[in-house]
Amino acid sequence: MSITLDQVTKQYQGNPVVNDVSLAVAEGEFFVLLGPSGSGKSTLLRAIAGLTAADHGRITLFGRDVTQVSAREREVGFVFQNYALFRHMTVGENIEFALRVRRVKPAERARRRKELLDLIGLPGMDDRLPTQLSGGQQQRVAVARALAHKPKVLLLDEPFGALDAKIREELRRTIRSVQRELGITTILVTHDQEEAFALGDRLGVMNLGRLLETGRPTELYTRPATRFVATFLGAANLLLRREARSGSDLAPARAEGETDSPLRDRRDQEVVAMLRPEEAELAPDRDALLTAFLGYGHVEELQFTGALERLRIRMGTEGAARSSDSRSNEGETSAMPPVWIDVTRTQPEQRAFPLALGQRVAVGTRRIHVLPTPLSSFTACAESRDSAAILMGNPWLVDLTIRMQTRLSAQVEPLVADDGADPVVAPAGVAVVTAGPDCPARVRRLLARGVTPVLCLPEDAAPPSRVIVHFAGQVARRSTLAVTASLLRHVPAEAVFLGILPSDSSERTRTAGLRQLLDVRSEAQAGHGLDVRTELRLGERIEELLRELEAQPGQMLILGLPEPGSLPESFEALLTQSPGWPVLLA
Amino acid sequence: MNGFREPSVLPGFGLTLGFATFFLSAIVLLPLAALVLKTASMSWADFVDVVSSPRALASYRLSFGASLVAALINTVFGFIVAWTLVRYDFPGRKILDAMIDMPFALPTAVSGIALTAVFAQNGWIGQYLEPYGIKVAYTWLGVTVALTLIGLPFVVRSVQPSLLEVQRDLEDAAETLGATPLYIFRRIIFPTVLPALASGFTLAFARGIGEYGSVIFIAGNLPMKTEITPLLIVIKLEEFDYNGAAALGFVLLAMSFVMLLSINLVQAWARRGVVTARR
Repeated sequence: MSITLDQVTKQYQGNPVVNDVSLAVAEGEFFVLLGPSGSGKSTLLRAIAGLTAADHGRITLFGRDVTQVSAREREVGFVFQNYALFRHMTVGENIEFALRVRRVKPAERARRRKELLDLIGLPGMDDRLPTQLSGGQQQRVAVARALAHKPKVLLLDEPFGALDAKIREELRRTIRSVQRELGITTILVTHDQEEAFALGDRLGVMNLGRLLETGRPTELYTRPATRFVATFLGAANLLLRREARSGSDLAPARAEGETDSPLRDRRDQEVVAMLRPEEAELAPDRDALLTAFLGYGHVEELQFTGALERLRIRMGTEGAARSSDSRSNEGETSAMPPVWIDVTRTQPEQRAFPLALGQRVAVGTRRIHVLPTPLSSFTACAESRDSAAILMGNPWLVDLTIRMQTRLSAQVEPLVADDGADPVVAPAGVAVVTAGPDCPARVRRLLARGVTPVLCLPEDAAPPSRVIVHFAGQVARRSTLAVTASLLRHVPAEAVFLGILPSDSSERTRTAGLRQLLDVRSEAQAGHGLDVRTELRLGERIEELLRELEAQPGQMLILGLPEPGSLPESFEALLTQSPGWPVLLA
Repeated sequence: MNGFREPSVLPGFGLTLGFATFFLSAIVLLPLAALVLKTASMSWADFVDVVSSPRALASYRLSFGASLVAALINTVFGFIVAWTLVRYDFPGRKILDAMIDMPFALPTAVSGIALTAVFAQNGWIGQYLEPYGIKVAYTWLGVTVALTLIGLPFVVRSVQPSLLEVQRDLEDAAETLGATPLYIFRRIIFPTVLPALASGFTLAFARGIGEYGSVIFIAGNLPMKTEITPLLIVIKLEEFDYNGAAALGFVLLAMSFVMLLSINLVQAWARRGVVTARR
C-alpha cells in the first residue's frame, strides 16, 4: 500500500471535520475522494500532504509513518484549485522551483523542465509568465510543477474547479494520461460525480467528515450501502419496502443485498430499496410491464433533455402489490413521502410508449437494490396523538430523518398491552419513544412484538456530539454494529465502542476482552466500512455506562440487548435518567 | 491592445484629462513654478552661495540622512507590523490597526512635543538612556525618531493590502515543493510584497524630507548640527531673505524629485513581471 490512513481525525473548534477516516490506496492507483462541500475531503487531502496536522490517527506513505513529518519532507506533489502558481516567476522557474530548492544542477533542471513541459503538452512555454496563460494552461503548469521533484504521491485538490466545461474535459484527459504514464499514486478530490467516475480507479465518498464507502465506480453506483452514496452518485429513488414474514425467499429476484436479521420471522421486515431512474419501466398497465410491478402513477413532470427524457411520476395508493395478490411474491413496496418516482427514458423507450402530462402509467422496476441498513424509517410511538406529535417535532429527530431521506410517522400505542391480539400493526423500521419513567414499559411492549431498533428520546434531546456503543452479549453484536454504522453515517459525531469487563476479571479474560475489541473494530471496518474507536473499561456494566454518559452532555448510547426482544431490569436505569440522553436499542 | 475603447464609469476622457491637468496645475504645478521663478530671479553666484553654504550643506545631510534612516527603519518594522496585523488574529487587533493611523491625524507639533517630553534627559525613556550616554532629544537621533513616527503609517498602509494578497496557497504550494520557511519568505512572500514595500518606503522618505512640525521640537535646532533644511528655509523667511528661502526650497524640490523618480523607476523595473490591472 502506498498511502495508508489509520483513524485520521481533524477537529475545528470541537467539531470533527475529518472523523476517524481509515483508507488504503494501492501503488499506482488513481483514487478519487468524492463528497459535497464541507464533507472534509479537502481537509483530509491536506492532512495527507502535511499542510494540516491531524489531531488523531496515523498517516503512512510507502511504509513510512509521516504523521509527524512536515509537508516539505513528505515528498508529495500537490495541485491546488486556484493553481497557486508563483506569479513573479516564469513558467520555467515555476516548474524548476522544487529542483532549485533541492540544489539540482542547472543542466539537469533544464532537462527535467523540458521533459515536463512536453508531458503536459506545453512545449516551449518556459519564458511565459503565468498571467499570460489561460486557466487550463496554468493548471497544467501547476501539475508539472508538482511533479518536478518526482514525488511518489500526487494529490489534486479540485483541480478543475475553476475551469469551464470544455477545458475541464481536456485537462481531465491530460491528467489521466500523465498519471498512467508515470504510474504515480494519485488522490483527487472533487464534488463532481461525473469527474469521479471518469478518472477514478476507485472512489471514496465522504460526508460529514466520514468516509462512507469506497469501491470501484460501477460497484458504488449499482450497489451502494448507504442512502447518501446512493443519492450522491446520481439520481436515485429511495423506496421503503415491506417484506413479509417468511423472509428473503419472498424478495424479488432482482433485488440484491443482504437484509437478513434475527428478528425477520417475527414481524414484517422493512427495508430501504434504491431504484435508479433508468431502471424504472413505464407501461400503459401492469400486464404490459416486462418487469416487476411497483404501482400505478400519473405523469406529473415531463422534461426533454436530448438523449433522455426525464419524468416525475406521482404514485397513487391504488394498485400497489398486496400480499394477497397472485403476483405479489415481491412483497409490498411503497414509495417514501412525497410519493414521487423519477424516471428517465431513452429515445427508443419514448418512441415505444409516448407519454403526455397527467397520463396514468404502470411503473415497473428492472432492478432494485436493497440497502443494507437496519434504520429504514422512524415511527413515533406514544399513548396519545399529542405526545406522538411532540415526539415527532424533536428537532434532532426531524433533522435525522431529513438527512436519511426517510419517513417519520406517528402511531398511537397504549402503554400497557392488552392480553390477546394487538389492535394495531407493529410499527415498521425504528420505533421512537419518549424517555422517562414510563420508557421501560413502552420499550418492553414494542420489543415483545418484535420491534427493533427502538430509540428512546428525551424530550429536550440535543444532537449528540459523541456516540457510545456497547452490546451486552454476542447475540447483539451484529445488529448493534449494523445500527451503529447506519446511524453514524448521518450524524456528525465521534463514536467510541466501549467494552466492559467485570473489575475482578483475570488477566486472561482481560486479554480476551482486548482481542474482542479488536475483532469488533475489524468487523465494523470489513462489514460496514466504518471505523470506530474502542475503549476497555473494568467495572459493572450499567454503572460504567452511566458514568460515561453522565461525564459530559451531548452524548448518546447505542446499546445491544443481551437477548433479542427483552429488556433486563438492570438496563432500566439507562432509560429513566433525567436529564437523559438518546438511547438506541439494537 | 484593445481595438475599441471600452466605456468607463465616468464619462468623457477629454473632460477627465482636462480636469486632472487643471487640478494638478492649480494645486501642485503653479506654486512650484512660482518657487522656480522666484529662484530664477537670483543671480547664479548668489544662488550657489546660498545653497552651498556650510550651514545649508549640513542641513541637507541631516534632512536626507535622517529621512533615509527613518524610512529604512519603517520599512523593516512597518513590514513586521503589517504582517502581524494581517496574519494573526489577537484581541485588540482592530485597536492596534486603528492606532497605526494616529500619526496621520495628530498635529505634527503635538507629536514633536510629546516625543521631546518622552526622550528628554528626564523623560520616561530618556532617563533610562541617559546613563548609557545615549542622548536622543536635541540630537540627530531625535530627528530620526520623529521622522520614524511620522513615516510608519505610510509603510504599513502600503504593505497591508499586498500582504493580504499573498495567498496562503502559495506558501502551501512552496512547502509541498520542499521549501523551508526562510526560503518561502525570500522567494515567494518578499518578491510579492516588494513593490508595495518600495512605495511605502518612498512615501515615508518623501514625507520625512518635508517634515517640519514634529522635528523642530525634538531637534534642538543647533546650526550645523541639528538643523533640518525646512527649518533653515523658515529661518531665511523670518530674516525676510525670500530669495534664499526659495533657493533652498528649489534644491529640496529638485533632490526629492530626482530621488522619487529613481525609486519609481526601480519599482517599475521590479514590477515588470506583474501584469498591471486591466483598464
